[in-house]
Amino acid sequence: MVDNMVTAQSRSPLSWVPRVAKVGLTFWMLGVVLAMFLWVPPYEGLGNTGRIVMMHVPTAWLSTFAFAIAAWYSIVYLRRRQARDDDRALVATELGFLFSVLATVTGSMFAKVVWGSWWNWEPRETSILILLLIYGAYFALRSAIDDPDRRRQLAAVYALFAFVSAPLLTYVVPRMYENTLHPNCAFLPGSRCNGITLANNGVGQLGDQRLQLLNVERNGDLVTAVVDVSGVGFSNRTTLRPTYNRATQRQVDTPNFPDSRFMLALQGVDETGVQLNIQAPGNTSQRGNVATRTTLFASLIGFTGLFFWVYNLRTTLLGLQRRVEARGLA
Amino acid sequence: MAKQIERRPAYVEPSRFRTPHMGRAIWAVLRKDVRSELRTRYALNALAMFALTIVLVVSFYLGPRLAPRESITPAIQATLLWVALFFAALTGLGRAFVHEEEVQTATFLRLNAPPAAVFVGKWLLNVILLMLLSVVVTALLGLFLNMRIANVLMLGLCLLLGGFGLAATVTLLAAVIAKASARSALFAALAFPVVFPQLVIAMLATEQALTGAPWRAALPQLQGLGAYAVAMTAAALFLFPYVWDA
Repeated sequence: MVDNMVTAQSRSPLSWVPRVAKVGLTFWMLGVVLAMFLWVPPYEGLGNTGRIVMMHVPTAWLSTFAFAIAAWYSIVYLRRRQARDDDRALVATELGFLFSVLATVTGSMFAKVVWGSWWNWEPRETSILILLLIYGAYFALRSAIDDPDRRRQLAAVYALFAFVSAPLLTYVVPRMYENTLHPNCAFLPGSRCNGITLANNGVGQLGDQRLQLLNVERNGDLVTAVVDVSGVGFSNRTTLRPTYNRATQRQVDTPNFPDSRFMLALQGVDETGVQLNIQAPGNTSQRGNVATRTTLFASLIGFTGLFFWVYNLRTTLLGLQRRVEARGLA
Repeated sequence: MAKQIERRPAYVEPSRFRTPHMGRAIWAVLRKDVRSELRTRYALNALAMFALTIVLVVSFYLGPRLAPRESITPAIQATLLWVALFFAALTGLGRAFVHEEEVQTATFLRLNAPPAAVFVGKWLLNVILLMLLSVVVTALLGLFLNMRIANVLMLGLCLLLGGFGLAATVTLLAAVIAKASARSALFAALAFPVVFPQLVIAMLATEQALTGAPWRAALPQLQGLGAYAVAMTAAALFLFPYVWDA
C-alpha cells in the first residue's frame, strides 16, 4: 500500500515539481541571505545589527502560524480520528517550537545590542515565551501517555485549549503592559504610528516617554517644537527640538531620545497644536526602503517555503514510521 | 434526607425520558462530589494547609522586617495572592478526576451522566472551593503581611471572575492529567501557559483593588477576566467529551 503510493507519486507527470521547488527554494534562500548583507543598507543608528530583522520577523511569524496549523489539525483529528491528522498537528508543533526558539534567539541578540539586555519582559517577548511553554507542555503531555490513541486525542484537546487562550495573550496582555520596545508601526520611515497632538504646555505620553511642549518656534517655513522629554520617573530629562518644514511637509530634524535609538519627530502643525511621534531609526533613502521591504518579503516567502518543505518531509516520515510499527506488530 | 433521594432519583437514565435532564444530572454530580468531599475533606484540608503554607513561607521572613501597620507593595501582594491561589488550585482541585480514575468510579459516572453534566458538576465544586480558598488566602495575607484592601467589592469581583476562569481551566486539565502518568509535575506545566493571560490580568485588577483605583480604570481588567472565564468555560465544555471518552 505504502510502496504503491510512493511509486504512483514518482511516476506522475508532475513529479518534477517538488524537485524543482526544492532547488528553487535553495537558491531563493541564498538570494535572501546575500540581499540581507549586500543589498539592504545598514539602518541609521543600528548599523549592521538591524539586518537580523530579516531573519527575526519571518521566524516569529511562522512560530505563530505553526500554532494555528496545529490547532486546525487537532480539530480535524478530533472529527475524523485519523492518525495522519495527528501527525500533522505534531509536526506543526515541532516546527513551531523550532521557529519560536529561532525567533527568541535572534530577537534576544538584537535586544542585547540595541536595548542593552538579553531579556526585557516586553509584551512580545512574554508572548513568545508562553508560546514556547505551550509547545513544551504539549510534548510533555504526549510523552506522559502510553496508549497511542489516547495520546493523540488528549494532545489534540490540549492544543485546542491552549489555542483558545492564546488570543487573550496576543491581544489583551500587550495592552496590560504600559510600554513596548517593538516598533509596531515605526519600523520603516514614513509609516504612521498614532502620535500625539500637544498644545502649548500640554503633556503627553509616547511609549514610556513623558513629553511636555514648552514652546513652538517659527522661522519662515521651519517650525521647531521645544519639547521637554523624560523617561520613567523623570529619568534622562532633557529638551529636544524636532523641526518640520511646512512648505515641503518634511521632517528636517528628528533628535534621538536620550540613551535610545528611537527619535522624536514633528509630523505636522495646525491650530490645535503640534503632532509629535516616536520614530524608529530606519533607512534614510527611499531606495533603501525598497531594498528593505523586498528582502523582508522575500525572506518571509523563503522561510514559509522552508517550513512547508520540512513539514511535508517530517509528516511523510512519521506516516512511514507508523506503518512500519503497525507491520511489525502484525 | 435519604428518603428524599429514593423518592426522586437524582438522574434518570435517557431511555425513560427523551432527553437527559441536564440540570438534575449536574445537581447529582455536584451533590455526590460535595458529599464525598465532606466525608473525606481531602480537598478542603489540602487546600487550607497549602494556602497557609504558601502564605507562611513568604511571610515568616518578610513579616518581621515590616514595621507595624506597614506592608509590602500592592503589586507584590497581588502577585502573592494569585501565586497562592494558582498553586493551591493545582494541588487541591486536580483531584476531581484523578480520584475517579484511582478508585475506578469513572466508568460508573460515564454510564450514569452525560459528559457535560459531569464537567459542570465538577467545575461548580471547584468554583465553590476556589471561592472559599480566596477568602482564606486574603484573610491570611491580611493577618500576616498587613495587606489592606481599599475596594473590597472590586477585589471580590476580581476573585469571583478569576475563580470561574481558573476553575474551568483547572477542571478540564485535571481530566486530561487523570489519564497520564507523572501527574503533579505535568499539571503545572500544562496549566501555566493556559492560565497565564488570566493571571496577568487578575494580578493587575487585584493591585487596583488594593490601591483603590477608580472603577473606570479597573473595568478593562474585569472585562478581560470575564471574557477569559467565558471563553475557557465554553472551550472546556466543548472539549470535555473528547477527554472523557479518551
